[in-house]
Amino acid sequence: MTLAATGLTVSATIGGRRVDVLRDIDFAVGAGKVLGLVGESGAGKSMIGRILSQTLPEGFTVSAGALSFGGVDLVQQSPAQLRSLLGDRITFIPQEPLSALNPLQTIAAQFGEHLGRLGIAARDRRGKMLTALVEVRLEAPERLLERYPFQLSGGMCQRVLIAMAFAGNPTLVIADEPTTALDVSTQATIAGIIRRMQYEHGTSLLFITHDLRLAARVADEILVLYAGEVVERGPARRILEAPRHPYARALKAANPPLKGPLVRLATLPDQMPSVATLPDLKGCRFAPRCPSRNAACETSQPKLREFEVGHVVRCAPACEADVQAAPAVARTPSPTPAGAPILDLQAVAKHYAGPRNWLGKRAAATVAVARVDLSVRAGEFVGVVGESGSGKSTVARLIMGLERPTSGRITLDGRDVTAADTSARLIRLDALQMVFQDPQSALNPRRRIERIVTQALEAKRNTGGGNAERHQRARTLLAETGLPPDLLDRYPAQLSGGQKQRVNIARALCVTPRLLVADEIVSGLDVSVQAQILNLLLDLRQARGIGMVFISHDLTVVRYLCSRVIVMHRGEVVESGETEAVFAAPQHAYTQKLLAAVPPDDLDTPWPPENL
Amino acid sequence: MPSSHRWRKLLARSLRDRAVLAGLIIVAALVLIAALAPWISPNDPQEQDLLATLLPPRWMAGGDVRYPLGTDTLGRCTASRLIYGARIALYVATIAASGAMLLGTLLALLAGYFGGWVDWVISRAVDIWMSFPPVVLAMILLVGLGTGVNKVILAIVLIDWTRFCRVVRSEVLLVRTRDYVAAARLAGLSHLRIMVGEITPAIIPLVITLMSIEMGIAVIVEAIMSFVGLSVEPDVAAWGVLIADARQTMHQAPWGALLPVLAIFITVLGFNLLGSGLRRTLDARLDVARAEAAR
Repeated sequence: MTLAATGLTVSATIGGRRVDVLRDIDFAVGAGKVLGLVGESGAGKSMIGRILSQTLPEGFTVSAGALSFGGVDLVQQSPAQLRSLLGDRITFIPQEPLSALNPLQTIAAQFGEHLGRLGIAARDRRGKMLTALVEVRLEAPERLLERYPFQLSGGMCQRVLIAMAFAGNPTLVIADEPTTALDVSTQATIAGIIRRMQYEHGTSLLFITHDLRLAARVADEILVLYAGEVVERGPARRILEAPRHPYARALKAANPPLKGPLVRLATLPDQMPSVATLPDLKGCRFAPRCPSRNAACETSQPKLREFEVGHVVRCAPACEADVQAAPAVARTPSPTPAGAPILDLQAVAKHYAGPRNWLGKRAAATVAVARVDLSVRAGEFVGVVGESGSGKSTVARLIMGLERPTSGRITLDGRDVTAADTSARLIRLDALQMVFQDPQSALNPRRRIERIVTQALEAKRNTGGGNAERHQRARTLLAETGLPPDLLDRYPAQLSGGQKQRVNIARALCVTPRLLVADEIVSGLDVSVQAQILNLLLDLRQARGIGMVFISHDLTVVRYLCSRVIVMHRGEVVESGETEAVFAAPQHAYTQKLLAAVPPDDLDTPWPPENL
Repeated sequence: MPSSHRWRKLLARSLRDRAVLAGLIIVAALVLIAALAPWISPNDPQEQDLLATLLPPRWMAGGDVRYPLGTDTLGRCTASRLIYGARIALYVATIAASGAMLLGTLLALLAGYFGGWVDWVISRAVDIWMSFPPVVLAMILLVGLGTGVNKVILAIVLIDWTRFCRVVRSEVLLVRTRDYVAAARLAGLSHLRIMVGEITPAIIPLVITLMSIEMGIAVIVEAIMSFVGLSVEPDVAAWGVLIADARQTMHQAPWGALLPVLAIFITVLGFNLLGSGLRRTLDARLDVARAEAAR
């Protein structure tokens, strides 16, 4: 065994109580094998990497168990002993490639320094670097070595870091969410490279991710973490195809499929308990959210049980009874509604003028959006798909009148709002609202939730807005977005990520708009919370007949929600049409590339495709 | 708007900070001394006792029980003059710092919120203003405005608004980019409401901090101006005047100059401790970080 954890427990004192942040973790990574560590934020998956590097947060200690690497317990090692292992026998692939590289040094300088640490003579380093860069399929490695990290894309930086991680033929590589910060199409490539490098070097790999499907593609064995405990561990194929634990099943069900019939996503209530509340859970830590809990679950802690060879599950009922899938509610893709469009964009473009030089001459303009045509009817959800830099967020700002288009025409209910002036603003106020991407930035931290969701009533044009009326309206909006009324007096910092995003939506609904513009509103959320928000949006369409421009990089989500889609690439619409038709038979190479980047559910389909 | 509950929490956290507590104690003591000056000063600060000039503090050889901190060249009670001097110092500190804060913050709000040419004009004005040496600028202003303590206050406001403007403007620029400001605009709120209701609460902690530091600066500027005779009338007991009076007899009676210097030092230290401590406890970004760490 390369790396083995036995009874590993990390404790901290939070709010005067002892909390086992990680409890009794057992796993083993064999030589040349890949273990996938899957969990949502707060599950404790990054804690394991932090034990390895002895960078646990202050107050957190390993209180029991061992983490042995080749027979040496890493927990007991002195920092100096550990340092001799890290970077040499054990290496890391980070989550944020850009911040992991020094922006002031060339790739050659950083890579060379790393090789020097590995004891490679200065004259051999350049050749070694070139070979390593070719290995991760980086083109023109000679030129690349002389460049600085900020001159490279995120994907290229990550390839450099992968090359560095494998350069010394380490025994173990730890990759903590190595693809999360990257664009969709790059994610697949990077995952493929990591897997291939691991295989060719015969290295053991600990692959930490929130994405069950991705883990199943990269790993041989998967371990699912929930609230600091292993809830299920087994062969990757078994975990993806037939998960037993209710949480693992929910995790799988929370992701809408890219192919096949659409069913309404089965969601878990609530979200993962915060670390501070863990001591309140006397029984199974998953019990409060479990759809199939019984009385015993609330009181006794379940043990890990071997359910079949090499497949353990921490749930007694799931091991005994045959797993009953929840009855699926079909979600037929809603047909495009008839009628005149509410919102219509005709050949809209946005150029940003370049900065003036000291003579007052302008540099060439940056084209954010080259040309977009888009129309949305009442009750219709239209998806805008694209990667970072595709101009999709600029489209949202143009629709909302936060930016004025350089050319083209925007109409709302047949009235021209292109100018983005005061009269256009008044027209927009009645019909259009925006849900922002980052609830952290979108909710004023100094306002109570009640004052946030009813803020529109403060505007002069909205008569009334007395305290009683605001309170009533806030209660209604919270109820409509599935939030308990006791949140009214809270501040945003006291809410969870999912709750904040619901407040964000509730605020947009305050003025009863007919159309919402939602910019990447689920991308920052955990999958189980994301599923809740997606269903909420569908319910709102049902209840209010509301239409939406849904901007996202996630094709599965767009397919689940939207009847029509436009695909943007470098400021241009490269493909548009009915979602099902576009996704079933993509015409443009870019759309094909995006679709191919999503790992298919069927493990027998090879992925990632070679030509990506 | 921040509620009283939130403020109480901030206050409780601020008082746990040692620097804030020390600063607060010093400033509160000064305010008490200034307010109670007629009752606690041992003598009339203007009364001359020509038979007892240049007395040392009473615990030193030759000291007099009637004059706890000795007397000056005209036999006036140094303790009483220091106590009355606190009145002038705090008066100038409060009014001048408030004035500079109001002017600077208002312009910073306009510049940061509207950007464009408004920002350009205000920022260039700040640049030009800040390139004058402040003491020289103060003297030029006082020559133009005439002398007197209120003129000194006006001069401090006219000079030091730039300190507020520059720092607060960059904070406004930062808050301006938050999506909640765009959301308020999309909810139909006017620019004025957004500036008052969304932006101002976010910059208040910074403004309080700057204000505290500015009060210390104002104390020093006032002392310099009274020292050179551009502030209060020469017979009024201000700390700068005390130092100026004691200058001639520095070698025979060093305490006459040292004691007002010490008074200024403690006052400025108090304001600075308070300011730098508040910066730590009131910073909203730390607030968010704490909330996240607690979850």
